[in-house]
Amino acid sequence: MTASAQASAEPILLVRGLYKHFGGIKATNGVDLAVGRQEIAGLIGPNGCGKSTLFSLVSGTVAPDKGEIRFDGRAIAGMSAHRIARLGLARTFQIPALFDNMSVTENLLAAAAEGHWPGAQERAAATLALLELGHVADNRASDLSGGQQKLLEFGRAVMRQASLILLDEVTAGVHPNIRKIILEAIASLRERGVSFLVIEHDMEMVRSVCDRIIVMDSGRVVTSGAFEDIVRNSEVMQTYLGRPQ
Amino acid sequence: MAAQPMKSRWPGLLLLAVILVVLALMPLLVNNYWLRVATGALMWAGLACSWNMLGGYAGYINFGHSAFFGLGAYVTAFLMNDPFGLPFLATIPAGMMVTAVFAVIIGAPTLRLRGAYFAIATWAFAEVLIQFASAMDFTGGIGGIGLPPYLNERFFYYAMFGTAALTYLVAWALFERSRFGLKVKALRDHEPAAEAMGINTALVKLQTFVLSAVTASVFGAIFAYWVTFINPKSVFGGDITDQMVVMVLLGGLGTLWGPAIGGVTLFVVNRLIWMHWGDTAFYIAILGAAIVLVVLFLPNGIAGLFVRRKANALEKVAEKLIGGGGER
Amino acid sequence: MDLFLQTLLNGLLIGGVIATFTIAFQLTFGVLHVIDFAVGGWVVLGGYLGYYVTALLGLDGFVAIPLAFVLFGALGYLIGPVLYNVRNSRTARPELMALALTFGLFTLLRGGMLTAWGFNTRNVTSMLSGESLAVGPVIVPLIRVAAAVFAVAIAGGLFLFLYRTRYGLAIRATAENRHNAALMGVNIRRLSANVYGLYAGITAMAGVLMGAIYSVNPEVGLRYTLFAFFVAVLAGLGSVGGAVVAALMLGVIEAFVSTYVGSSYSLLAIFATLFVVLLASPKGILRRGL
Repeated sequence: MTASAQASAEPILLVRGLYKHFGGIKATNGVDLAVGRQEIAGLIGPNGCGKSTLFSLVSGTVAPDKGEIRFDGRAIAGMSAHRIARLGLARTFQIPALFDNMSVTENLLAAAAEGHWPGAQERAAATLALLELGHVADNRASDLSGGQQKLLEFGRAVMRQASLILLDEVTAGVHPNIRKIILEAIASLRERGVSFLVIEHDMEMVRSVCDRIIVMDSGRVVTSGAFEDIVRNSEVMQTYLGRPQ
Repeated sequence: MAAQPMKSRWPGLLLLAVILVVLALMPLLVNNYWLRVATGALMWAGLACSWNMLGGYAGYINFGHSAFFGLGAYVTAFLMNDPFGLPFLATIPAGMMVTAVFAVIIGAPTLRLRGAYFAIATWAFAEVLIQFASAMDFTGGIGGIGLPPYLNERFFYYAMFGTAALTYLVAWALFERSRFGLKVKALRDHEPAAEAMGINTALVKLQTFVLSAVTASVFGAIFAYWVTFINPKSVFGGDITDQMVVMVLLGGLGTLWGPAIGGVTLFVVNRLIWMHWGDTAFYIAILGAAIVLVVLFLPNGIAGLFVRRKANALEKVAEKLIGGGGER
Repeated sequence: MDLFLQTLLNGLLIGGVIATFTIAFQLTFGVLHVIDFAVGGWVVLGGYLGYYVTALLGLDGFVAIPLAFVLFGALGYLIGPVLYNVRNSRTARPELMALALTFGLFTLLRGGMLTAWGFNTRNVTSMLSGESLAVGPVIVPLIRVAAAVFAVAIAGGLFLFLYRTRYGLAIRATAENRHNAALMGVNIRRLSANVYGLYAGITAMAGVLMGAIYSVNPEVGLRYTLFAFFVAVLAGLGSVGGAVVAALMLGVIEAFVSTYVGSSYSLLAIFATLFVVLLASPKGILRRGL
């Protein structure tokens, strides 16, 4: 078996025994999970269960206390955020973290500035078209509506040409039209080989887009499986999501 | 970049060409006194631009920028005197290198600090240098240090003109027309997000800081040779940084031409006050009032009036007068 | 040994006066999230008021203490909302603009005072001036003791106000968490005006005391701004309790460097310490950063 074939046999993201404590708070307390290649995995769980901390740990914003993170066959735990990003991992932020004083186009270009630069202008134009942001291309990012900001946040991740994208509640509170744009973009990116790990609270969104669901509670993964299986297990739904459906 | 409205570029380029021609012919047009004023104005426009590289584009407020101006000045003074006796031009690269080393040593740790902490740390650094230069013998102590006089106003005019022009060219190419500028502005607006986009923010900040410092050191070197005598207050003094900050704020923070507009405006005002009232503390009060007024009524500077959203600026003035501004 | 004790006591007395205005400085940061560059300007204004009370009215310099509070408190009360609006405006970088505003205010105060009063150095005089108190082998100028007593009284009054009144509770709640305080019905904008007024008044009172211990001229404002920053960095921005300890440390460091090394090195020592502390523990300091 060649090295690359071996790498592709491995899941795109593998997390084992990941711990992060802030003072006395056990934000993640031994997380184990995997995201397969071209998979769209949904990450659900009550508020404060460690989902966002997990994103910070995987993307390198916060260094873990202990544990293993392998991305595309490479150990990345404790690596700085920009190095992880350059390996092909992109993320969005729960509260849009746009470059407020730059235009929409510049936001997209800045996302490509440290990456494959030739053709970035064309890709930015294509992303604007894909996300239907063409009419506000020259507006300052801070002047966008909330939904448009979510779109742009997503668009920057697209511009990264990543192999794994972490989406943190990217459709929360947006207009159905904007949600539809994002969902279609996710589907078409997956066709091109991109994998996703998605934090979502909206069960309808989770059902329609995710191949598999990972349930977290109190800093660890409690279960994972197909949406129907998880939902059928109403005990899980009640305990961890607080509302049977 | 792509954000600018697609108006014709010709009026702007024409204006720039006219300004450059006038500046190039300046020694033929004015007497020696006004040539000195023009030399000073170009120096301040260049210094303001160097401050704006870090302050405007990267969002890091350097309250100790005079440290690097002073380092350039002192290295030139030191090397032109005995026992070295180096020619002026040879001292400039030496000053740039010394400044770059200092900038890396100071910048690497301080650039981890955010906002006001960075401002305080750089301010403390410049004050340490002032106290140090005042206490040491090899710097001439508080009395200062002289340089071999070279009385050629045209030489200094063209030296400042060339350096200032180069500074603006570099600033334009790097911050307005390249990937580097996108990275710098991205980290200014949101550092964690910039990191998530693969940008090595620590490195980009340090590069900007060093560029900004080295640029100031070149002006310091020319200044020292020009005035033929320097002391700690005259090249490290906090007033030098104050002026740069005011010039940039007045002209427009984070814009290419703002520092030039602010620098020339303020320096000419300074000279006019000086002509009428001599060396007066009143100028300091005017500086202060100018900052307050700019922050309150012209937060985007003079340049902000000419760029987009003229109406918006007026709205903000109105808002401020009525007393709006909600909770964030 | 006597010199050592003498120096230590001097340092503590001066540290006590520094503590009064740095506490208020920290409180202002907690509520307004603004680093006030103008702090040294308020100190100098207070010192001049103390001088003029004697020079024009022939009264004891310490009479200026309540006057300073009323006069500059009122001025601060007018400036507070402006600062609040800038800090919370929708301009590109409000925290930076607020810093620039206080910097401009400081420069305006300095330039104005230089224009009006020149570089002349002024003293706040009192009937206690020239008297001294012998504590064993240590001799302390009585005016310094008096200044320290006033300082403790002012700081004590401030703490009582903060911890024993409803309004003090609202201020502390706001400094702790602005968002929650707003949810609980605190009018942050009006509170900011009051806090800035309180701070300006207290700082000017400390200025009267400083003018009695040392002397004032328009250029020394920078020194007190440095003191406030030093304390803020050592204690952590916004920490009121830590400010007392840091201010006393500052007073002692200053006194010892002046006595044993030379007074021209005291600023160098303070700046260098400030710089090293900033670099050595940015993490610890940044916990309450901007």
